[in-house]
Amino acid sequence: MDTHFAQRRRRDLIVAGCLAVIAALVPLFVKDVYVQNIMVLTLMYAALSQSWNILSGYCGQISLGHALYFGLGAYTTALLFTKFGVLPWFGMLAGGAISAVIAMALGYPCFRLRGHYFVIATIVIAEIALLLIQNWDWAGAALGIDIPVRGDSWLKFQFARSKLPYFYFALALACIAWLVTWWLEDSKWGYWWRAVKDNPDAAESLGVVVFNSKMGAAAVSAFLVAVGGSFYAQFVSYIDPESVMGFQFSLLMALPAVLGGVGTLWGPVLGAVILIPLTELTRSFIGGSGRGVDLIVYGTLIVVISLALPRGLVSVFSWRKEAAR
Amino acid sequence: MTALLETPLLETRGVWQRFGGLVANSDVSISVGRGEIVGLIGPNGAGKSTLFNLIAGVLPPTQGSIIFDGEDVTRLPAAERCQRGVGRTFQVVKSFETMTVIDNVIVGALIRNTKMRIARQKAYEVLEFCGLAARADKLAADLVPSEKRRLEVARALATEPKLLLLDEVLTGLTPVEAQTGVELVRKVRATGVTVLMVEHVMEIVMPLVDRAIVLNLGKVLVEGKPTEVVRNPEVISAYLGDRHAVGA
Repeated sequence: MDTHFAQRRRRDLIVAGCLAVIAALVPLFVKDVYVQNIMVLTLMYAALSQSWNILSGYCGQISLGHALYFGLGAYTTALLFTKFGVLPWFGMLAGGAISAVIAMALGYPCFRLRGHYFVIATIVIAEIALLLIQNWDWAGAALGIDIPVRGDSWLKFQFARSKLPYFYFALALACIAWLVTWWLEDSKWGYWWRAVKDNPDAAESLGVVVFNSKMGAAAVSAFLVAVGGSFYAQFVSYIDPESVMGFQFSLLMALPAVLGGVGTLWGPVLGAVILIPLTELTRSFIGGSGRGVDLIVYGTLIVVISLALPRGLVSVFSWRKEAAR
Repeated sequence: MTALLETPLLETRGVWQRFGGLVANSDVSISVGRGEIVGLIGPNGAGKSTLFNLIAGVLPPTQGSIIFDGEDVTRLPAAERCQRGVGRTFQVVKSFETMTVIDNVIVGALIRNTKMRIARQKAYEVLEFCGLAARADKLAADLVPSEKRRLEVARALATEPKLLLLDEVLTGLTPVEAQTGVELVRKVRATGVTVLMVEHVMEIVMPLVDRAIVLNLGKVLVEGKPTEVVRNPEVISAYLGDRHAVGA
């Protein structure tokens, strides 16, 4: 049985490697900028959702305030670059570190809350942060920050002519988020998180310090999401509070994981690959009417999938047959 | 060293627990020696579960102290008591339902083994010991109730406890299942683990335990050899009412 388990983990790794190689080759055949743009966003949301999944899926602490960390990453990078000339690469790490620290500072009071109360707290905190940024003059207040683009440069991580560098970075980010999850899944932390999600009292009786486990999950999750936010700031080269810290980001991070399978390794990837192109395509093909038809189609799909497959799309592929029941 | 071996593994000294106006435990002093199987019995509402939770560290007592293995653990939270060698099961089973049986046990094994491969190996051995190895890859949610009880025991054993606290693990089982449970408890003790078990079904626990402590109305009523305890008039009256005690 030991080998059975090891085989499954190795198989996951091989499948992920193959998918990454295939994804890396796609731009050789797809030259359309619009499609490339969708691919970048898909990979970015796969990474974000995978990161969200660490705290909310594995550890069971549902956060609908992760836009906060996304925004923090974007703002840290943009501010450090425009005000102090710090390269985005360092901004990315700084944003991640700041987010991780803030996630733990917020977790200190919030992880005493359970269930819905925790969810509400995450929403409210993210909204407060949004208001603060909107009124912070030094950070551009509601107008936001324009990141000056002066030609293609890997050093400054900005590219005016091609989407490809962004694509490969987003792919790397998605791979990293997946690998971190893969590695954590079979670590002490992975087991602790799932135990905390299923039954905190029993976990505590087995020597798991529940509070610390949640703090660990929050820090890792916030760090990765902030790196995603930093990337996004470079990708769009103009940020304002609503466009990087709005509530929709919190939802867009949660939805792929929910659709694909909360607390699963493949759920966020699968969810993002379906959801993000669908969002973009429905918006461009039927969203022009202004009547919100795209949102109706989008919403209906989510409702149908969650009714038919409450464990997410991955349950279709589940190797454990009885799990699908 | 011998002095340490002679001290009891667990001691409660004058423990009180009040919930508002309700006194669940009043001045409870008990001790459990190394290698013993001790039964904590008493009618419903006697304060067994409260005392059990105080020992496991779910909440600190209002007053009094709890000494485990020569150390005052009164203020230590549950996780740290587990670290020091207190393992427990729950009266209402608390399996990690979305995890497999082996993964449930790995959570327990991780406290002593940081390497995953070794923790997994250890968990598998514990499952074999508890007769659950064939179920290792099933989801905990898919186990039948008696298996879930055994999983609770397996999970606690994986933390390599010095003292195993069993909360009504034999209650509500069929006679055959209960007998398997009794044998498991004996096997556990044979490995050198001390057992303190709460039960209210007397006929199951009495042949199993070395010593019985009877709680009634939050106080220790009697303690002694099971054969003596069951004949004690006070115990009979606590369980069955005064009329029977007089008759005896």
